[in-house]
Amino acid sequence: MRPARTHRGGVLVEAALFVPVFLMLLLGTIELGKVAYTYYMLEKVMYNFARYLGTQQGTNFCDSGDPNIVAAAALAVTGTTDASALPIVNGLTPGMLQVQIERFDAASQQVVPCDCSVAGCDASQGGQPPDFITVSLTDGYTVHPLFWGFQVDPFPLRPEIKVPYGGT
Amino acid sequence: MKSQRSRILAKTPRRKEHVRSSFASLRLCERVSARRSSERGASAIVTLVILVPMVFALIGFGLDLGILYSIKGEVKSAASAAALAAANQLIGTDASGVAAGNAALATYDSGTALNNRYYFHGFPIGQTTGTLISSVDGPVYYATAADAIASSTPTGTEVGPAFAHYVRVTVAAQTKLLFWSFLPGVSDRTIQVMATAVAGVSAPLCQACGIEPYALAAINQGDPVDFGFTTNVTYSLYYACTGAPPPILPGGGILVPYVLLNRLDPNATVFADEATQAYRDLAGGLPGNTDSTVACFRVNNPEMSWVSAVVAACSTAPVAPIVTEALCGLDTRFESTVPGSCELIPSVDLLATAYQPDTDPTFTDVYNDYGGSGRRIITIPIIDVINPTGVMNVLGFRQFLVQPQFGGTNIAAADTSGRFLAMYIGSVAPVKQGRFDGGCGISNGPGKVVLHQ
Repeated sequence: MRPARTHRGGVLVEAALFVPVFLMLLLGTIELGKVAYTYYMLEKVMYNFARYLGTQQGTNFCDSGDPNIVAAAALAVTGTTDASALPIVNGLTPGMLQVQIERFDAASQQVVPCDCSVAGCDASQGGQPPDFITVSLTDGYTVHPLFWGFQVDPFPLRPEIKVPYGGT
Repeated sequence: MKSQRSRILAKTPRRKEHVRSSFASLRLCERVSARRSSERGASAIVTLVILVPMVFALIGFGLDLGILYSIKGEVKSAASAAALAAANQLIGTDASGVAAGNAALATYDSGTALNNRYYFHGFPIGQTTGTLISSVDGPVYYATAADAIASSTPTGTEVGPAFAHYVRVTVAAQTKLLFWSFLPGVSDRTIQVMATAVAGVSAPLCQACGIEPYALAAINQGDPVDFGFTTNVTYSLYYACTGAPPPILPGGGILVPYVLLNRLDPNATVFADEATQAYRDLAGGLPGNTDSTVACFRVNNPEMSWVSAVVAACSTAPVAPIVTEALCGLDTRFESTVPGSCELIPSVDLLATAYQPDTDPTFTDVYNDYGGSGRRIITIPIIDVINPTGVMNVLGFRQFLVQPQFGGTNIAAADTSGRFLAMYIGSVAPVKQGRFDGGCGISNGPGKVVLHQ
């Protein structure tokens, strides 16, 4: 019986050597998968934000407290326009989303940012609506991945979405 | 028998070692233990050779799939944005194809700082050089949504931009797979991710927003398509009056009266002046408002005429000031200078800078030849009958191309009968905002741009 026990012990030693390695590999993969998934979800949230905002009536983009912008951000982040649910992406708040309005300049054939003036896109001053909405994250969405059990330097994810504006 | 067995055992020492070692001498025991240490090494090698690559491969494919999904999402968003942008520009003219192409390009072109990209927002879309390339197929134009959705490859159902109401954009982007090269025989690690989007007009709108508050009476209420109007015919419109109508404007065919429907916003806080409101309503359509009764018209809804835009006898000239002020707004579609007769409108000089004139202000005989940006297109309610003091019922929405006065490049805002020329164009251009739900029983009319796929 003794030799058999020795054999089993060998397997145990082997397992003790390999299991942590595999576990770390597995955990690392999960962390990488989480980063890719988080990026995909952020991208979706921002597309929903831009698309919802692009189909609303009477949005004043020069006022960050505009009810339409607040509702669109709440819908994108939580799935409800009154922000009554938990955020879809953990820790994402409507304040992290940044909206930039742009107009297609026929003279230079370029898309240029639209300023908040009468000739620009300020609805409260009588300006015309923009042509495009760009949504970005002001400081990015910071992820803190754990690799091999150690904390890797946190880095921000910065997706960006541009959609045409349809609302008036 | 016994000797035979021991010979077999000697030949195959690993077999039944437990049995043998239980009955073996001390010396044998030593030999066996020596063998066992070499076995342990073999097992570690087996683990290394088989298990580690397998685990790495599994992890690799997991990672690669995650990245592919993420890229697919980005590419799909980019295709949707490009298709929506292009479809918004299709107004039924040959020239609109260029505008649609430019608008689609503007959503992903790397010339601007902010745009749609892929691979964790790292690579521009449409880049043809470098390690990873991507291509955009389209916008390709179709007359029906079924054609646009069906033809993933060219099938001959594409149409020119003048007949197109649907747009298809396909984005194909290369990405590099991280672990693909672990597979034997793989020389190319790049793989293509594709996404397709179809955008185009929706069902006819029951509620149209941001349109112009002029209204024409249907010439023939029994005609559900054109209400008795004829496409490509320029009508001479005059403000409704009683008695003998004013003479036809040069260049216009049939005389048709119009009224100004009431869209005076009593709760307006900026540019609350009535004259300024009428000017803005016709300069750029009804301004956006969260209150849809102010910013929109709805089919089958009763409407009243603008109170101060009184319908007088045709011999009483000129027309009510509000009619002239509305015409001043319409004039911004042709020129950026303010006509003298419009100078009395409060804040008009300031407001005039917000409205860009059309790129093509010339008289057009056939709508297809119109080369402008669509600024001259007005979408207006068609009503059952003009009733200056009572209720008018909205039958639907139709579009007109405002024409300059004959031989000129603007309209005469000071006209004492409120006359201008407008060509009937049907429902070719998409409306920016509106709703098609609620069931209003119409089968024709302008729609808005939505994603179909």
